[in-house]
Amino acid sequence: MQIPFGPYPVGLNLYPLALDLFIPTIFIFFAGASYRVTRYFATYNKPFIVYGTQVRGISQGEKIIELFNTFANSSRVGIKRKPATTAAGLLMHIVLVLIIFLLAQHMIFWAYYIPPYKILFPLALPESSADGQLAFFRGSNPYTSTPYPFVHDIWGPLTIILNGQYLTYLLLIFLAIYLAHKFSVVVERLSIRAGDWWFFVLLFIDVVLGFLATSHIPNNVFWYDNLLGAHILIAEIIIVTLPFTRGFHMFEFYLGKIREWYFMIMRRGMK
Amino acid sequence: MTQVITEQINMEALKKAIDDVFYNQIDSTILYYLQSCVNCKACEAACPFTSTSLKYSPVNKAEVARQLYRFRFTVWGRTIGRAIGGSKKYLKLEEVETMVDYVWHCTNCGACMFVCPMGIDSGALVDLLRQVAFKAGLVPSIYKEIEQLEVSGKYWEVKAFRDAWEGLISKMKSQLGKDIPLDKKSSEVLFYASIYEALVYPDVLMKVAKILDTLKVDWTFMSKPLGIRPPLGLILGDKEGAAEVMKRILDYFTDMSPKYVMLTSGGFEYPALRYTMHEVFEIKPKYEVVHVTELLAKWYEMKRFTIESVEEAITWHDPCQLGRRGGVFEAPRVLMKALSKNFKELPSHGVNSICCSRGGGGCGLPTMIEEMAKLVGITIDDKSKKFLDSTIVPLINAGKLKVDEINKVKASEVLTGCPVCIESISFAVNYYHANTQVKHIVDLLADRIKKV
Repeated sequence: MQIPFGPYPVGLNLYPLALDLFIPTIFIFFAGASYRVTRYFATYNKPFIVYGTQVRGISQGEKIIELFNTFANSSRVGIKRKPATTAAGLLMHIVLVLIIFLLAQHMIFWAYYIPPYKILFPLALPESSADGQLAFFRGSNPYTSTPYPFVHDIWGPLTIILNGQYLTYLLLIFLAIYLAHKFSVVVERLSIRAGDWWFFVLLFIDVVLGFLATSHIPNNVFWYDNLLGAHILIAEIIIVTLPFTRGFHMFEFYLGKIREWYFMIMRRGMK
Repeated sequence: MTQVITEQINMEALKKAIDDVFYNQIDSTILYYLQSCVNCKACEAACPFTSTSLKYSPVNKAEVARQLYRFRFTVWGRTIGRAIGGSKKYLKLEEVETMVDYVWHCTNCGACMFVCPMGIDSGALVDLLRQVAFKAGLVPSIYKEIEQLEVSGKYWEVKAFRDAWEGLISKMKSQLGKDIPLDKKSSEVLFYASIYEALVYPDVLMKVAKILDTLKVDWTFMSKPLGIRPPLGLILGDKEGAAEVMKRILDYFTDMSPKYVMLTSGGFEYPALRYTMHEVFEIKPKYEVVHVTELLAKWYEMKRFTIESVEEAITWHDPCQLGRRGGVFEAPRVLMKALSKNFKELPSHGVNSICCSRGGGGCGLPTMIEEMAKLVGITIDDKSKKFLDSTIVPLINAGKLKVDEINKVKASEVLTGCPVCIESISFAVNYYHANTQVKHIVDLLADRIKKV
């Protein structure tokens, strides 16, 4: 089949390939994640726990506060003693979460595979700041009514700054800082792992590809489909390798901190 | 630091030790520590040794353990990992030197775990390497000989130790003007101390006895100590030796059956005797092991006594094993606030307190180790001397961080609850000519407690 924009055969580019590979990607991810989790169960020994303190007990309310402190302590100390890398790291994580899960185009993708995801549509972030500017300075509304017109989402004029375009700029800066940090580690002859490069370089390339595709650079459909396809394919490579790389920390982070809280606060009664 | 040891490396013993430790010690917790690190290096901010070199950052030290783990437990480690240097079946000679160097630059203070965004206890991984080093015979001979003295129980045959202990008991008697209860069963408080404490701060132990007597507590003391500073094996990577010593202690505690076993040391003995010992033998004790500050804070809040306060600015150094590993932060602060309205927190305190850099990271001041070696008749050869001297550098560097903080709060006295912390911080205070004194909290408290 030919489409009207030139000699462009639909189906012979990376985009449909990437879409076809999405379900296998998820399957491989779950298989890998199961393998990783199974290893924990296979090596689990129920710890023999002696006692929590009876001399000076800790109240239920204090335990909850300490749960918050357990998660927050790393950032608190980091901001004080390593401000640059800690701030870059924190902001990078926030921007990543916003872009992956709330960028309007991504939300449509997720909602296609997971329909209940639609419930988050009012939180959608638009692609560029132009939409927010139009809404704020001109009071513009979409020409046709839609169930969730972005200018009516909860962000309102905030989308002048909170949008895919600006967040991508920020993300590229933060990822560049992290890549530079990795280079500095090499220079200092400290331990560095293959996984450090794998994750950051792939992520950096993926963000650039997504940015080029969504900005229509170069501005023709052939490139658009290939760039978008490559963007999704790289994301799929990241997803497939998550259970075998440092990327899995996005899930294990909670396991580690809750474990720390359980043993130190619940069992040892840290007070 | 390592030249001392490497001449004696038996590579076959080392390989066997690596296999034994890594195949036998992996449980889900260690597995998590090994595979979940993202190499973000946040732990650098917490480790006292990073002021000496970034190569001593927790993540960098633990990477040796991770490389050995990857070869044995991951497909990538056995294939691509070998090609790109991410995994190793065994260690080359220079890598062994590095490993041994690393294990003596970690106090297992736990600070890295609390600042790690993933909650990874790098100290536990360095401990694996320390076990490897011990099994391969790579422990400095001076440490090993002292530890073996404790494991064998022959420490009690050392005249200097007996004299120190018996002298302590007789001084307690003359101070109180009466006999002190020894090895009395079913008392409220079993006052526990080690030979090390009797040597470094006998006055503190006597003051504790005075407090117990003043408060008319039903207490007892030990006619014989249960070790030099038991269980030393836990620090050196000798799990089996530590278990033997802990069994003796457990039997004694069980036989005495007090309500509380009270320690004045908040060093590694605290979590070892409170938690590790009972976890190893899977016994739920009928007594509770507590630090002296825990009991005193409780009794103070129960209004069993009042505290006459001082005017000076005082501060509290959290011993890492009492606080981070043991969970005791609030009790000493109850007493500190009662002791002075000018109680000031150090900028880094609580779970983020900067470690004094001793404990497992050199086991004490080199002069103290030398002194003890002389007491027990261990010859300090050139190698051992060189090794001990090399442990001073981190003490100086980490000490600067602590002294800077003490100067910042302008405290005239730094109080704490661990003999090694007192020695190490005093060393730094002297080295940097700071205008402060470092004492055990009991030192200041004893004369200010008034029974209600």
